[in-house]
Amino acid sequence: MKSLATAASAPSATPAERGVPLSAGIRKYVHRHFDLVVGAATLIAFFLAWQFARPLGIPGLSAVEPPTKVVAASWDLLSSATFWTACYKSVLRILAGFALAQIIGVPIGLMMATNRMAFHTIFPVTEILRPIPPVAWIPVAIIFWPTREMSTVFIVFLGAFWIVLLNTIGGASTIDESYRRAALSLGSNRWHLFRYIVLPATMPSIVTGMVVGMGISWEMVVAAEMIASDTGLGYLLWQSFEINAGAQVIVCMLAIGIAGFVSSALIGRVGRLLTPWQGRR
Amino acid sequence: MSRGALSFRAVRKVYDPEGKAVLALDGVDLDIAPGEFCAIVGPSGCGKTTLLNAVAGFETLTAGAIQLDGRTIATPDASAAPGEDRIVVFQNGALFPWRSVMWNITCGPVMQGRMSEREAREHGLKLLARVGLKGCEDKYPNDLSGGQKRRVEIVRALINDPAVLLLDEPFRALDALTKSVMQEYLLELLVQFPKTVFFITHDLEEALFLGDKVVVFTSRPGRIKEVVSVDIPKPRSHEVLTSPRFLELKAALSAVVHTEAMRAFEAGEKEMAR
Amino acid sequence: MDARTNARSPGAGSGEIVVSHASVGMFDRGGKSLQLVEDCSFLAERGLFTVLVGPSGCGKTTLMNLIAGYIGADAGTVRLDGVDVKGPGWDRLMVFQETALFPWMTTLENVAYGPMVRGIKTMPEIRAEAGALLERFGLGEFKNRYPRELSGGMQRRGELARALINDPLVLLMDEPFRGLDAMTRQLMQEYLTRLFEETRTTTIFVTSEIDEAIFLADRLVVLSRAPARVAAVIEVDLPRPRRFEQLSSPRYAELKEQALNLLYAEAAAAFEETGAGADIKEAFERRHVAD
Repeated sequence: MKSLATAASAPSATPAERGVPLSAGIRKYVHRHFDLVVGAATLIAFFLAWQFARPLGIPGLSAVEPPTKVVAASWDLLSSATFWTACYKSVLRILAGFALAQIIGVPIGLMMATNRMAFHTIFPVTEILRPIPPVAWIPVAIIFWPTREMSTVFIVFLGAFWIVLLNTIGGASTIDESYRRAALSLGSNRWHLFRYIVLPATMPSIVTGMVVGMGISWEMVVAAEMIASDTGLGYLLWQSFEINAGAQVIVCMLAIGIAGFVSSALIGRVGRLLTPWQGRR
Repeated sequence: MSRGALSFRAVRKVYDPEGKAVLALDGVDLDIAPGEFCAIVGPSGCGKTTLLNAVAGFETLTAGAIQLDGRTIATPDASAAPGEDRIVVFQNGALFPWRSVMWNITCGPVMQGRMSEREAREHGLKLLARVGLKGCEDKYPNDLSGGQKRRVEIVRALINDPAVLLLDEPFRALDALTKSVMQEYLLELLVQFPKTVFFITHDLEEALFLGDKVVVFTSRPGRIKEVVSVDIPKPRSHEVLTSPRFLELKAALSAVVHTEAMRAFEAGEKEMAR
Repeated sequence: MDARTNARSPGAGSGEIVVSHASVGMFDRGGKSLQLVEDCSFLAERGLFTVLVGPSGCGKTTLMNLIAGYIGADAGTVRLDGVDVKGPGWDRLMVFQETALFPWMTTLENVAYGPMVRGIKTMPEIRAEAGALLERFGLGEFKNRYPRELSGGMQRRGELARALINDPLVLLMDEPFRGLDAMTRQLMQEYLTRLFEETRTTTIFVTSEIDEAIFLADRLVVLSRAPARVAAVIEVDLPRPRRFEQLSSPRYAELKEQALNLLYAEAAAAFEETGAGADIKEAFERRHVAD
């Protein structure tokens, strides 16, 4: 891909280097950072279209508040306590549900992968429950758990749990046989095998499960808060919609997006700490 | 046979990934006569493949020039351009798995309009029979064994009638006997369809068995360390491998190659330590 | 390791493996029983380098797994110095096909692993010993690196160190240099040869590369097509210490021709029976018409 791009643009760049300094400089920059330039241009075009959607009569987009209004609304919202309380609530729920999913999912996954009896006992249950989308659990969760708070955390937990479980099982059951054999030859007992082979060998899959699970957690918390809660970013988003505060809806959406992005980045950082041997990919 | 004279003049290639200049090839001067089989041996990372890519037109030079029959095909000024007169057979193979063997072979000349579909097919059948692949024309590449695929690829290259055939370790993945039989097939084909061949390998024995000329490259930066003409008459068959002259040449060159391999190895370890 | 190795006479501290009438079978997915090794007997003599060669899929790896104790025999025995082999143990250490250094441990942790889990010494002692051994293997600067950060050749040396720190009686090597390019491979063969000539640890080495086999071996055990039996034993009488120059000697060429003919007769016969290895069959026939 890269060599293609270079080959294609090489002839235009060569004469440019001998030409007028300023335009040559610009062309060289464009040549070097082709991807950046194109990306920025697309973004600018998008925001312009959004801003002037109404006068231009672009269908769909014109129904949405323009960026200038969104910026103004975000200023109001960001300086209100309501918004920050909502953020705080959502983050707490994410943390609780996500942590529970790890604490319960990883050991069960490891057990299922290393013990045939455990696998065949638990597997049928998981196969029945797993295809049910966590959102479909919301009514049952509301009935089952004493508080709305618990129901919301439960839905978040479910969202992350399956992916954590599957990744752990997948990772632990596909460990290269030669690692196990090498460890056995070198004199390992069962505890050594678990501590020094199975656990670290599964860690990259656990980390993958965490990264994906975190994404799903945010989806779940928003859905659960819309239906089963009276706090949190999801609730605020829905509330804004109901009171017809279009710009505020967009701000909430952006806030959730940013929160999801930040938490994924954090999990990625944690993952690298847990698997230092893996390099940065 | 006047086509296919390849000459390299002061060829130099510097890679510049992230501002860290790496000298891959330096001062390479080499002449390959029309119809000559030139085998290139050298340690990993010595720039052999870079040189082949430059001939093929996949890569530009930093300095120097490569000429084919007096026509310059690579300089620092012109951008790289592949041509049908130079055909590469890759290490890992590049047959289209979703097309039949015959389609794979004939697509080149037919698409370029050099042959009608019927002509190409007849010619293809003839060539396939020559390399022991009679009856394989309607199979898919994945129905063939590794050795058969390599042969199809060489046939595909030959049917395009290139001036130079560029081969990058084509028999690398094959076992010893299959490999040696592939080598014999290749030599036989070249008797019938003489071509200039630029052949890259890690295997000194292979280079000596196939080559009219063997060029040993130094480890990075790639420079020519030694050029040896293999004065063993062609056609050659595997009995040559145990002949006194062959063993003599092998003994002389293996010391040179070994020194370079050693240097490359040590340089590699030092580089990793940083 | 140095002190002990130098003190003992060549091969004195190493073991002898006797495989007698061993058979191993398994069931394939369809439940059909499949014989992998059948009535196979050979001797890996104390202090000698024994190389097993055979057509691909002939059961070489199964045989190695049997000697290592990863699988059991249906019939026959494997004995190490007269004692039946019952399971994996540090007295017979395996160096694997693709490198099996634990990717999540540094080179030093890998080498220290055996002594650590066996608990025979204190951790500082083990670390010091592992460090010294890595120094000797030219990996001193890399002891805190992960295997991913080493070149192929370094990984193989690291694995050798991980095995040798345990002072095993027998070293088992299953195509350890597969995946290295031809030149690095040659250098690693020379390295292993020097190491062997120093320590004379009984070694059983599996390969499908005939050049590698002859260069390394004192004795070449040519296996038949599957199920593995011993088809022939060739004594490789090239003098030690081995040098790469010997690869160009007439005697070497003779031995190679002899081994190749044996091997490919087996491969061609395997094709007659199972249809596997079409290339080899074709090559073999062509060779014989030409002859």
